[in-house]
Amino acid sequence: MTANAMLWAPEAEAPAAPAAPAEGDEYEAVEGLDRAGIECTRAFEAVAAKKTASDYAHIVWAYGVLWSLFAIYGVMLWRRGQRLRGDVQALRARLDAKK
Amino acid sequence: MARTLPILLLLAAAVIFPLSVRTIFLEVGIERQLGTVQKIFYFHVPLAWIMMLYGVVCGIAAGVQLRRQSRMAEAIAIAAGEMVIVTGIAVLVTGPIWGHASWGKAWTWDARQISTGLLWLVFVAYVLVRRYGAAGSERLAAALAIFGAVDVPIIYYAVKIWKTTHPSNEVVGTLPPEMWAALWPALGALLATATALVAVRTRQELVEMDLDDVWVEAEDVKGEAT
Amino acid sequence: MRLSRQAWLLAKNDLRQELRDLELVATAGFFTLVVLVMFGLSFASLPLRAQPLAIPGMLWLAVAFVGALTLTRIFDRERESDTLRALLTAPVDRLAIYASKAAVTLVVLLGCCMVLVPGLSFLFPVAGVFAERPGTTAALVVLGCTAYAGVGTLFAAGLATSSGKNVLLSVILYPLTSPALMWSLVATRALLDGHPDLPTYLVQLAALDVLLLVLAGWLFESVLVGPGRSGTAARRARAAHRR
Repeated sequence: MTANAMLWAPEAEAPAAPAAPAEGDEYEAVEGLDRAGIECTRAFEAVAAKKTASDYAHIVWAYGVLWSLFAIYGVMLWRRGQRLRGDVQALRARLDAKK
Repeated sequence: MARTLPILLLLAAAVIFPLSVRTIFLEVGIERQLGTVQKIFYFHVPLAWIMMLYGVVCGIAAGVQLRRQSRMAEAIAIAAGEMVIVTGIAVLVTGPIWGHASWGKAWTWDARQISTGLLWLVFVAYVLVRRYGAAGSERLAAALAIFGAVDVPIIYYAVKIWKTTHPSNEVVGTLPPEMWAALWPALGALLATATALVAVRTRQELVEMDLDDVWVEAEDVKGEAT
Repeated sequence: MRLSRQAWLLAKNDLRQELRDLELVATAGFFTLVVLVMFGLSFASLPLRAQPLAIPGMLWLAVAFVGALTLTRIFDRERESDTLRALLTAPVDRLAIYASKAAVTLVVLLGCCMVLVPGLSFLFPVAGVFAERPGTTAALVVLGCTAYAGVGTLFAAGLATSSGKNVLLSVILYPLTSPALMWSLVATRALLDGHPDLPTYLVQLAALDVLLLVLAGWLFESVLVGPGRSGTAARRARAAHRR
């Protein structure tokens, strides 16, 4: 019985709710927004977000390529240095052997 | 001095680089027409400058090498030539990445792209001739480098003469000051790195030349002794 | 003996030898004809609208190929009989050698263009402009070929003294001559389209010619002879060999 009373209670209260704003101004009706407007804005924002994401991907690739090129060249130079050091060792050994 | 210069330069680059990244990504605003991807510009343009700079350096060093038979000049020419190749690849890759993001087309066949690619090819030919050329071909390679250096202003001039889809030269002149402020640190970091690598390579080349001399002397002495 | 007279004598000598057996001229000429036929076959179905875009490329590509072919052989006679050394020790101004060889290359290239330009006019109706304005066409062709010959002779000479690694010549030649070829391309397109900027392009091409010829002439002696010291290369070759 209590439940039934509760189930039907909102109907009794419902008419009261719309009446409340008129009395106390607790809610403000939202103006200027319609479904089409919102969807349009969301569509634009999606395009902009996609562009930003793509842009960042391109930036990351560009900077990555750039610094890896320098790094690769640096490694090549380092290996060349190793080879030269080995060469110097060999020469030194040769000269020592002759003494 | 020769040993410490590269280290100092790399340290400088390591310090400048975070500053440059901060300036580019946090302080400069997003360019209205091209969007975020325009930030590639802050590294792409200094790289192109560095490429042309080392192209000219290589040509001048080659000229000195021919005139005065200077070993130091020859070593600098070789190192500068290799740096032109490295920065050339970087420019030719970052440019199309930017183009692809901005206009949807990576390679637009415009004058500056072509000219930069050709300059790159000339210096690749330089390195190839040095590596695979026969005994007397250093002088030929030097002449090639000089022609390459002469091509550098021709590239710059070509953009002015031909109608092109590339952003015109004047873009750099009319940048707002905050964009210039972002360009300089990037240039600094890249130039320091590139110069450090060139200095290392020059020194390696000089060492290799000396080594060759000593090897030859060692052989001669050995020949005489036996 | 004045420089120009020396160059003229040397060039005359080369051309006379050439006319004796006609090897260079005949093969280059026939090669041009073959290239022309290939272009005709490849591009026969081009729409009329696209032809002014393709014809300059055909012309200057053919020049580039014939030029590379000619340059690999322009010093052949000297290399085979080792007369280059003799030529260099003779009291001849080095610049005269350069001028004479460049002139011979130019003559061969112009001869091939005399086959190319009418051939292209015949195959592609749009190229009829070449026939309508022969003076301008001739000027354009001469300027373009001079730039090519000037740069190419220097490097052919440099490679002639070595043991004939001709692959390197192609690697060097195409990137280096490309500014000259590009300028010629743009000028040819302006000619075909009736563009008003054509005289400007021709003047610029002439200026480029002067620049390239002066630079190449200045470098010729250094490349061919060097200042006399054995240089680092010989020692390095020995060192690498013995290691």
